[in-house]
Formats: sequence, structure tokens, C-alpha cells
Amino acid sequence: MVRFKHRYLLCEVVSDDPRCRLSLEDRVLGGLIRDTIARVHGTFGAASCSIGFAVRYLNAYTGIVLLRCRKEFYQLVCSALPFITYLENKGHRYPCFLNTLHVGGTIRTCQKFLIRYNRRQLLILLQNCTDEAEREAIQKSVTRSCLLEERSDEEELSDNGGEEEAAEAME
Amino acid sequence: MVRAVGGSGTIQMWSALEKMPAPATTYERIVYKNPSEHHYMKVRLEFQDRGVGLNAAQFKQLLISALKDLFGEVDAALPLDILTYEEKTLSAILRICSSGLVKLWSSLTLLGSYKGKKCAFRVIQVSPFLLALSGNSRELVLD
Repeated sequence: MVRFKHRYLLCEVVSDDPRCRLSLEDRVLGGLIRDTIARVHGTFGAASCSIGFAVRYLNAYTGIVLLRCRKEFYQLVCSALPFITYLENKGHRYPCFLNTLHVGGTIRTCQKFLIRYNRRQLLILLQNCTDEAEREAIQKSVTRSCLLEERSDEEELSDNGGEEEAAEAME
Repeated sequence: MVRAVGGSGTIQMWSALEKMPAPATTYERIVYKNPSEHHYMKVRLEFQDRGVGLNAAQFKQLLISALKDLFGEVDAALPLDILTYEEKTLSAILRICSSGLVKLWSSLTLLGSYKGKKCAFRVIQVSPFLLALSGNSRELVLD
């Protein structure tokens, strides 16, 4: 079968500043990554990576980004991600870095990984939380996610978004 | 073919040999695809107008900026050495690791200008062995 194969990079934007994640926009981030690839890999890198490049999914609450690139050049993109040191939006510069969580061949495998990763993150949040009200809210989210897991093997990303929003809103 | 030559006695001998188990042989095969980890290039820089001079540092800066233009900062940091440089003829012998040869050659090909003046790199010889650059049969003068 002849088709264009892609690699989907699941990354997390980590920053000290809480305003950094909220100012995430797909076009701004896409432009920033393209500029970084042009700087690190030159004209050749910029041209080869930008053909199939797209920001597929962006979650401003958790800072999760899903990038798509062609399979032949995904290593160029992967190697350029550590060179991103700041995010610029409306004249404000926030220092941050991109953590690559998973590289998958399809969106579905990245989604499955993200679901498992978020469950683990909820448990870690439960361990680290200090407030009683927070603790109850997170425990509710955890039990809800376990129930959903029993009901169906595949969860929708929207359900996940609800849990994350609840967890993040509590922080 | 062997069975056709010789009589019935030979045929019996060959079939007996075939029934014996072959002796175990061990052999080692070493293949050198490219024993040299560096490639050496003899290049010459040609300008459209005459009277443009570069010293060795400017020449190296030109090479690195050509690499950086096409392949970015990662490949501008390739271990590139200028072994000899002649300012009069603007010719040099470069050494680069073998994995970077294609990148260096392509970036030299695509280099168009230096400080606004048009120029071109002429690649005279490329070899994985430095000794091969000492003689060039094209420049041989027969008396």
C-alpha cells in the first residue's frame, strides 16, 4: 500500500510560570517549532520537516501537545525540540521546555498512551496534594476514571479532558 | 558433469564421498567497506572578479557559514579542518569525517556569494586517503 507514513510526537510543555500554559496556541507553537528547526537544521531541515508538519492536538490546561511529522524526517524534529527555551505570546516571553512523552505511528496509540499517563499523573497528584478538599476532588476523579475503564476499554479524549480540567482547576 | 567423465567405478567413488559428512570448517570473513574515517577534499575558490583575497580564518568562516546556511547549527559544528591553504590561488585541502562528506560537498555546491561578490567552489579531488591528493593524473605534464 502506498501512503505517506507519519510519526506523532506527544510532548508536554513544562514551565515554572503558570501563565505559560494558558497562552498556548497551535499556530504560535507551530511557528516557533518551525523557526527552531530552521535554526538547528538549516534550510534543508526546515524544508523537509515542514511538508507534513502540523500541530494536531493542544491542551492548554495540561500543556499536552501532539505534533505530526513525516516518518522519514521525524528524527530532525525530535532533535530540534530540546532547543526550544521560551514561548512568546503578545510580547511576553515565558521560559519553558518541551518534554517528549511518546512517539507513535498513529493518533490512536498516542491517545492510549495519554490515557494511561493521565491516570498515573492523577495518582501522583493524589499523593502530593495538601488540602482535604483537593484530596476529595482528586479521589473522585480517580474512582471515576477506574469506573470508565471498566465500562469500556477505549475512553474518549473528552472524558479525559474533564478529569484533567477538574484536577487542574483544583490546583 | 563429473559423473559423465570416467566409468562406472568413478561414479561409485563419488557417491561414496557424498555420503560422508563434510568436515566442519570455520572461516572468518572480514569486509572493510571504508577503512578511513576521514575524507579529504582538494578545493579551489573562484571569484567572478579578480583581486579578492581571503586569509585562512576568513576561508574557514566561509565554509562554516555555507554549512550553517544549508544544514543548520548542528552540522556547522562538524569537525572540519583546513589542512593547507594557499592565499594566492585560493585553494585548500579540507578534511571532514566521512559521514559529513555529502553535507559539506552539497553546501559548497550551493554557496553563491561572499560579501556580495559572486564566487564558486571548484572541487578538484576527493579521496579517503590523503596520499592520493598528492598526485593528480589530470594535471600531469608529460615532457
